[in-house]
Amino acid sequence: MRRLLTLLLLLLGTALPAAAQSGPSASFPYTLKTDRLPNGLTVVRVPYPSQGIIAYLTVVRVGSRNEVEPGKTGFAHFFEHMMFKGTKKNPEGARERIMGTFGFDDNAFTADDVTVYYSYGPAAGLPQLIEIEADRFQNLEYAEPSFQTEALAVLGEYHKNAAAPFLKMEEELNAAAFTRHTYRHTTMGFYEDIKAMPQAYEYSKTFFERWYTPDNTMLFIVGDFDDAKVMQLVRENYGPWNRKAATVKVPAEPPQSSPRTAHIDWPQPTQPRMVLAWRTPAASVDTMDAALQTVLVDYLTGPTSPAYKSLVLDKQLVERIGSDFSEHRDPHLFTLTATLKDERHRDTVRLALLKEVSNLAAGRVDAARVKAIQDHARYGTLMSLQTPRDVGIQLAWYAGILGTPDGLQRHLQNLTKVTPGQLQEFTKRYLTANRLIVLSLTPKTAGAGGTK
Amino acid sequence: MKTRALVSLAALLGLAGCATTPKPPVDPNAPPPAVPSTAALEQQPAQPPARPEAVPATPLRQPRPMELVVLERPDTPIVSFRLVFHTGSVDDPKGKEGLTDLTSTLMAEGGTQKLTSAQLLDALYPMAAQLSAYTDKEFTTFSGRVHKDFLPRFMDIFTDVLLNPRLDAAELERLRANAISDVENGLRSANDEALGKVALDALLYQGHPYAHYVGGTVQGLKAITLDDVKAHARRVFTQDRLVIGLAGPVDDALKQALTSRLSALPAQGAPRVELPPVPTTAGRALIVQKPTLSTAISLGYVTPVRRGDPDFYPLAFAFSHLGEHRQFLGVLFNELREKRGLNYGNYAYAENFIEDPGSTYNRTNIARTQQLHSLWIRPVVPANGVFATRGAVFFLDKLVKEGIPQERFDLMKGYLQGYTRLWEQTDQRRLGYAIDSLFYGTPNFLEEYRQALSKMTPRSVQEALRRHVHPDALNFAFVTQDAEGLAQALRSGAPSPITYASPKEQALLEQDKDISTFKLPVRPDAIQVVPAQTVMEK
Repeated sequence: MRRLLTLLLLLLGTALPAAAQSGPSASFPYTLKTDRLPNGLTVVRVPYPSQGIIAYLTVVRVGSRNEVEPGKTGFAHFFEHMMFKGTKKNPEGARERIMGTFGFDDNAFTADDVTVYYSYGPAAGLPQLIEIEADRFQNLEYAEPSFQTEALAVLGEYHKNAAAPFLKMEEELNAAAFTRHTYRHTTMGFYEDIKAMPQAYEYSKTFFERWYTPDNTMLFIVGDFDDAKVMQLVRENYGPWNRKAATVKVPAEPPQSSPRTAHIDWPQPTQPRMVLAWRTPAASVDTMDAALQTVLVDYLTGPTSPAYKSLVLDKQLVERIGSDFSEHRDPHLFTLTATLKDERHRDTVRLALLKEVSNLAAGRVDAARVKAIQDHARYGTLMSLQTPRDVGIQLAWYAGILGTPDGLQRHLQNLTKVTPGQLQEFTKRYLTANRLIVLSLTPKTAGAGGTK
Repeated sequence: MKTRALVSLAALLGLAGCATTPKPPVDPNAPPPAVPSTAALEQQPAQPPARPEAVPATPLRQPRPMELVVLERPDTPIVSFRLVFHTGSVDDPKGKEGLTDLTSTLMAEGGTQKLTSAQLLDALYPMAAQLSAYTDKEFTTFSGRVHKDFLPRFMDIFTDVLLNPRLDAAELERLRANAISDVENGLRSANDEALGKVALDALLYQGHPYAHYVGGTVQGLKAITLDDVKAHARRVFTQDRLVIGLAGPVDDALKQALTSRLSALPAQGAPRVELPPVPTTAGRALIVQKPTLSTAISLGYVTPVRRGDPDFYPLAFAFSHLGEHRQFLGVLFNELREKRGLNYGNYAYAENFIEDPGSTYNRTNIARTQQLHSLWIRPVVPANGVFATRGAVFFLDKLVKEGIPQERFDLMKGYLQGYTRLWEQTDQRRLGYAIDSLFYGTPNFLEEYRQALSKMTPRSVQEALRRHVHPDALNFAFVTQDAEGLAQALRSGAPSPITYASPKEQALLEQDKDISTFKLPVRPDAIQVVPAQTVMEK
């Protein structure tokens, strides 16, 4: 699957003209001006009336999915931290001084498939920003002690996240769902691997060489600026970047032939929880799969769904229901989640959610609700794009997952095309009993000697 | 060794002041205010004026009833509503802690006379309209956003939420259960960092209406009846407490229609709570014990300086320099995380700070009459708990004693000239600032801040620091597993050396010696350990 996807993207890349423009639509009222430099770097500018504020995003198509070597999980995320450690020209601390002079909000995040860097602040700082960004993506350089110290900050991040059950649940669900694919570990990585990170200095350099390449990276610049000047600076500064992305094989996950379960006994007071998960197709520009799953989330668990009305509002058996679905490059999971009020209602809630799934599979689809979900998506997108940063992050996310700069627009278009028949077909095909994975979490109780 | 319980649990974490208590309850066990500074902190040639014994409750300004704040912006199709009521958890009656938050949530989610809660969701959903309530200590905000395509329909619903809320029993039970779970499962169990902050508020404002968690106490929430909610809504969501904010494509007809509808709210309700002075205690420590991998730390003290005081701007500047929230630039972030790898981040605040979701900026409309200065140390491995705490106080102390070097000062000025602009990039946030300005008497607050920045000097900032920033007045909240061990370490004052797995520069190791022996302003007789499951019980 992964090789096919790469091949498609390569074909797509060569087929694309060196410059393209795509206009506004009902739910995305902005224009993308896209150029591709000879070294393969895609550069997208989005005019946005922001009165002197810009957002500058770099999306690298690398995430925990790329962590194929044993013992090196969590590295994409750790590496994101290291990207702030400087170069020969701008050693550690120089970035803070340059960015600080202008007041940029400067940060990054890592997910399973992508790493996104963003700087958000005054357009006046763009020339310096382009220079320092181009420099670090080409010439990152850090000493081993600095690397070792940063590994401890990552451990601190893990500890911060570990107080709530979510991280453990994600770890257990992934372990149940994936036996070979790198989605088996979370983006944070296995705890043991995080603790061993300080020893992996040499590997970190390999990671940079492998994935931080112009053909694996896209820039998005959103806001008020002189397009010609910006493009000139981008060409000058990023032009010499000349590495090529590695081809590392991510192991394919074998099909699942029977249902699976996983359970967590949580040692502290918390609500009982449940996740129903199915392995589902990847997000791709060539299929409706991502759009269908996006609609399914609200159809099955949204605030106007029958399950929400029954379980949350009327019977009050759960605090909330929802889904952790997010778009992935390779086949990942479609989930339904429930935070229960009482352990005794676990079966009732599971059966109620599965009943909604089987209704859909049987073709009992409420077309009016599908239409309402599409309206909600259209207006919701408009409402969510309040700043250049909002626009940039959404563009970068979908571009990174789908491998094309107009990924967001394509996804939004696909949402408008979803039909009740397609939802039925998808549900019947993928949300089946044999592919189901059930994760349960039960808190420690007073009877078991717990605190409450 | 056991820790002596100096202050009763109930007094510390439960029995807050209330709407009908004009004076703080007399607590015979309360420690005396204003502890003398430690020897380590007495090296200034000229001592600044002594701290006052208490921070008085100088009332915020009172805007006109239903004062209208409009920020017209024709270039967006989204209309923003922001109704800010001068009521919050300070209005919770004694024994019903959580009533204001629960009431506002029930209004926002529980439906209207015309629409059940399910019908309300059905109506809002296709518009992707947003309607929510947020309660803090002194303010409650109902905010709404909608595309102009749906404006009339949304206006009806939004105003009905305020004027004709359904307030039915089943929805009350649902939301009450959620609120109790939020304390029992969320605060006490799943978020050590939030727990540390709530514990610090309880410690600093003991006996004051700020002391209890805005979301309520378990027993307070259980005691609330539907009649309480109905009565409370009419007591606090009144015209005289309301500022109306409107932004986006707004015309006179909309202003007129909204104001006219909201004039059906009760003109006035409960008399305003008279907040008691907050004694300026120092050196107290509260350790919340629970199973956890790490130690969460918050420290602070109350301060009379708030927006509107000329010294607020230099202090805000200095605290940004020390640790702007979740930015890479602060001294604490660099010293404790970047150089020493102690944790994920360390920050400093010149006023009440609650992160606006999806950003690194402070929420708007969470003003306090009596503010605090605080430091937030994100979870550290327990072995480094005391060292990290000492580190944070060490750098605060250094800031007060040495001020900010000119080069760094200039950098921070440039930084805040740009960064503060990001705080006002959405209509809701612009409205929020404009409304806060009415209460603090600081028109164009952010613009004034930027102008003030251009006039500040290292000297003027250090003078403000020396007048108002008191490392020796800090109080400490910890969340950790080995609470007794931490209490013992704090009581003993023994050095807390640190070792690293990677080589460090000699200068840093020398500084570590000073940090590891730095005298924390903790009073050995004012350290208390409480189990997490008792926090905010009543």
